[in-house]
Amino acid sequence: MKTLHPITSLLYFTALIGFAFVFMHPVSLGISLAGALSFMSLLEKHKALRFMLTFLLPLFLFAAAANLLFSRQGVTILAYFPSGNPLTLESILFGIAQAAMLVAVIAWFRCFNAVMSSDKLVYLFGRAAPALVLLLSMSLRFVPRFTRQMQIIAAALRGIGKDVTQGNALQRAKHGLKILSITVTWALENAVETASSMRARGYGLPGRTAFSIFRWTQRDMLVLAFVLTCAAAIITGAALGGLRAIYFAEISLAWQPLTFVLFAAHTILALLPSVKEALTWKS
Amino acid sequence: MEIITMRDFSFTYSERKAPALGDINLAVQPGEFVVICGASGSGKTTLLRQLKPAMAPHGSTAGEIHYHGKLLSELDARTAAADIGFVQQCPENQIVTDSVWHELAFGLESLGEPTPVIRLRVAEMAAFFDIEPWFHQRTAKLSGGQKQLLNLASIMAMQPQLLLLDEPTSQLDPIAAAEFLATVAKLNRDLGITVVLTEHRLEEAFAHASRAIVMDSGRIFCDGKPREVGQQLRNMNHPMQLAMPTPMRLFGDCLTVSEARQRLAQLSIDPPAVEADANPPAPEKAPVLNMKDIWFRYDKYAPDVLRGMNFSAHAGEITAILGGNGAGKSTALGVMLGLHKPQRGKVIMHESRLAAVPQNPQSLFIGKTVQEDLQEITRDYAQIAQLCELESLLQSHPYDLSGGEQQRLALAKALLTHPKILLLDEPTKGLDAQFKQQLAKILDNLTQQGTSIVLVSHDIEFCAQHAHTCALMFDGQVITQAPARQFFAGNSFYTTAANRIATWAITCEDVLLFLQKKVTKKT
Repeated sequence: MKTLHPITSLLYFTALIGFAFVFMHPVSLGISLAGALSFMSLLEKHKALRFMLTFLLPLFLFAAAANLLFSRQGVTILAYFPSGNPLTLESILFGIAQAAMLVAVIAWFRCFNAVMSSDKLVYLFGRAAPALVLLLSMSLRFVPRFTRQMQIIAAALRGIGKDVTQGNALQRAKHGLKILSITVTWALENAVETASSMRARGYGLPGRTAFSIFRWTQRDMLVLAFVLTCAAAIITGAALGGLRAIYFAEISLAWQPLTFVLFAAHTILALLPSVKEALTWKS
Repeated sequence: MEIITMRDFSFTYSERKAPALGDINLAVQPGEFVVICGASGSGKTTLLRQLKPAMAPHGSTAGEIHYHGKLLSELDARTAAADIGFVQQCPENQIVTDSVWHELAFGLESLGEPTPVIRLRVAEMAAFFDIEPWFHQRTAKLSGGQKQLLNLASIMAMQPQLLLLDEPTSQLDPIAAAEFLATVAKLNRDLGITVVLTEHRLEEAFAHASRAIVMDSGRIFCDGKPREVGQQLRNMNHPMQLAMPTPMRLFGDCLTVSEARQRLAQLSIDPPAVEADANPPAPEKAPVLNMKDIWFRYDKYAPDVLRGMNFSAHAGEITAILGGNGAGKSTALGVMLGLHKPQRGKVIMHESRLAAVPQNPQSLFIGKTVQEDLQEITRDYAQIAQLCELESLLQSHPYDLSGGEQQRLALAKALLTHPKILLLDEPTKGLDAQFKQQLAKILDNLTQQGTSIVLVSHDIEFCAQHAHTCALMFDGQVITQAPARQFFAGNSFYTTAANRIATWAITCEDVLLFLQKKVTKKT
């Protein structure tokens, strides 16, 4: 997935994140979750497991529990809270579904982040306005440098006994402002040199082109066609009610033959990166 | 035909009266490798910038500059951008974009080249400069040497015929600097690119150059093959000799250590007997700072940077810590300063007042004028300002000072806190020979007043000349610590050029003095 063209990747993620967000059918949610988690483990190896256990799992439990406290709908009453509110089966299931949706979306976004480097994002933005590419690229370089320089200055001052993190609020604010102001001066000074370096390399000549290292390959074509076909089929099927999932007041889920076809399509799509990787490295 | 001709050229900065350049007559043939040297302020950078229209400073000019026989000022912008490449001093500030591949493509995008052409040229550059391993990196992640190499590569991608470099290695450590200059030499030798380079670290530059030009107060006063220039300077006994490589200072027309060794052997003079008393063991001075078995890493999962480091500094001495990149020198300073807390071991301070000057002196400045910056510490700055020779600069903005002046201001700021121990990180970085001498004078002054100085440096020659004690760091430990003479006499690779030429000597002055004595005895 990392080696695909940014447009292909973007489309894939849009589809999968969209599905995870919209389809509340328990099986759909399971597919979304399984796809996202397996893709994540593929991308981040053991770090993914840590993220799942320390962040996603607690989040899941918390979100599911929180929903119970606020939801009073449903017809199948299991018990009553001390406050007198009913605890219903529907609200428990809906809470679990919501939590699964939340976790799946976050996991997909994490995969998105790992795959879509800033280069690719800049390229995608740049499709809309080529001039924006350079601006974005320069800002991506500038912002971390600026904060780094502020840290360097603070450390240097500490070296001569001027600890800017000490003193009362007013003193600290004063020091902070001074450092900010000198860092701005520093940035402007450097910008003069950067500007001359740009001019020296012909910036400002008419007819500037925008280069990108991303190549549109036949593989992109295939993947894109496949993703589009599956997504279109799933969306059409869902529009026909194939993935109907109603939790309140009574649970009602779609279980038609069409539903299973849609599940299959969704599964193939969600597990595409993981399966592809498993096949590549099988022997 | 000459690639560059300057005829009776002179230049005056706007708002200045005295010309910065005068009577410049210069012809550069295609394929030459020209090194321009001279003290800071001698006009070498100003001269270099005149050759690139986009970089030329504001001011009034007289005389003519021709590029390939045509007036440079009439050259069309596209040709001027592509044909004449310019590498500036600071590796960091020249980089425009956030990723290596985009930086390589930047110039070609400006020229409006189509994607397939750019793709090919970028690939060529990445292969030639061996950039492939870090081709997909963020530019922020690169080392200084890599950054400067990237700057060079992204200019070479535009296929220039003339390459101008303005002190490109002044911010690099010696190994990265040598690598960079070797790459420039390769461009000159293998591709025939004409190179004009200003530099004040001349050891490598002279070895590669086909021609050297020495400037003083805006004029060219020596021009010839590096060896000839060395001989001329020696005959004139010019102060620029100080900046010359050691072999050249000793014998005028020698460039390498091996040549100088042969020359010394030809003189067939007996080496001076190393007298037992010549190096009396210095009376052991009171320690001011001890590091005992220090272990340090930046992060739980990061590798150890300091691995059982032992070190001591003594009262009223200059102690130099030498060592390669990544040996942990700067980290050790941070530990002494208390910026980093060691995981194991102890730092024992016998003095509480400590001050440090960081590697980049600029990061100490927060005022709008030099005066304001000094007042930041105390109103009572007159004496220190005098010591550091800052009186005439009090109203300037700290950022407008030259490298050497900035170093002095940073030193003054640190001194205003009246430290008993002064820590300096690479104090000679980017300084020319004259400024180094000035710095040494100030440091000597301080030690005489009882301040102890610990400095971290790559500058072997400076440490040999001015430090009392030297310590070699390797792999997070101090491998050896000894009085400077003893230290260098015991090393065969990590030592001064003078020591490599004459095993009984440490500094260039030792050899010069000895030769003088011999000559006077003979006559």
